[in-house]
Amino acid sequence: MSLPHLARLNTQVIRVNALTWVALLVLLALTCGSAFLRLGPWNVVINFGIAVIKAALVVLVFMKLTKGAMTIQIVAGLAVVTLAILALLSGTDFWFRY
Amino acid sequence: MSSDTAVAPGADAPSLVVGEQFDDAPQQQAAASLGMWLFLATEIMFFGALFMAYAIARVRFPDAFAAASRHTELVLGTANTAILLTSSAFMALAVEAARVNARKLTMVLLLVTAVLGAVFGGIKLTEYVIDYRDHLVPWLDFAFDPRHATGASIFFSLYFTMTGLHLVHLVVGIALVLAVAWGVGRQRRNVVGDHVEIVGLYWHFVDIVWIFLYPCLYLISRA
Repeated sequence: MSLPHLARLNTQVIRVNALTWVALLVLLALTCGSAFLRLGPWNVVINFGIAVIKAALVVLVFMKLTKGAMTIQIVAGLAVVTLAILALLSGTDFWFRY
Repeated sequence: MSSDTAVAPGADAPSLVVGEQFDDAPQQQAAASLGMWLFLATEIMFFGALFMAYAIARVRFPDAFAAASRHTELVLGTANTAILLTSSAFMALAVEAARVNARKLTMVLLLVTAVLGAVFGGIKLTEYVIDYRDHLVPWLDFAFDPRHATGASIFFSLYFTMTGLHLVHLVVGIALVLAVAWGVGRQRRNVVGDHVEIVGLYWHFVDIVWIFLYPCLYLISRA
């Protein structure tokens, strides 16, 4: 049984979403597999780097941030920048305190 | 009823109703999206504080965090990550289906998304039961290697707090998805389109939070 009205969806959109989904699962396999390798501090770098890439794929493809209004992009950007500033300030305090 | 609403012009969204405070349907949709993005910005701050607490605790107790992480259920956590990523893909398709006003397809895709979310929740609760049986719940009968007990206790406190709050967000997301699916099924005016899109944004955000939780909690040291 086929899904109703599936043909009404743009095939390009379906293809992009499917490829993104595959990419996300491949990245999941990579990050999981890398955890079993003794890479020292690089384990953290790889895990966090892959997480950032996966989040970027979701934000850019699924949430279509770049296709939204400029105000939305500013809000999203400001949220990340504000979080980075707060993390930097907290991290600096922690670094010199301990 | 007074004429405080008007059917939006344009054949693409014959069921869309525009509030009187908006000039047209695109402006209304842009406002709805902006509102959800603003809410998500506050959510980033909310979860960001927890991730910061996690980072500081991990720097202070690196060995204990590595030891504690090895007690998490990697297979279940990885399966859950795949399930949530898949649900996001279905949600993205649901938004596209709503955009072309394919009501039945939108409803089916939303229901698949909700079911995948429910499966995620079920697996997460199963993990909690396993953790409880393994004496890994800090507020109950916590038992761990004495060399790492303090750090491991902090790790699992953060684990339950962060995954618990994520689970609450997921349950809210499932409720929202089902509500919108029900509205689409009932062919309620104004549901298809902007409602599906803003619920989709929320769902993807919940997915993103888990994308960062997964390596932080499950993958610290498996080698």
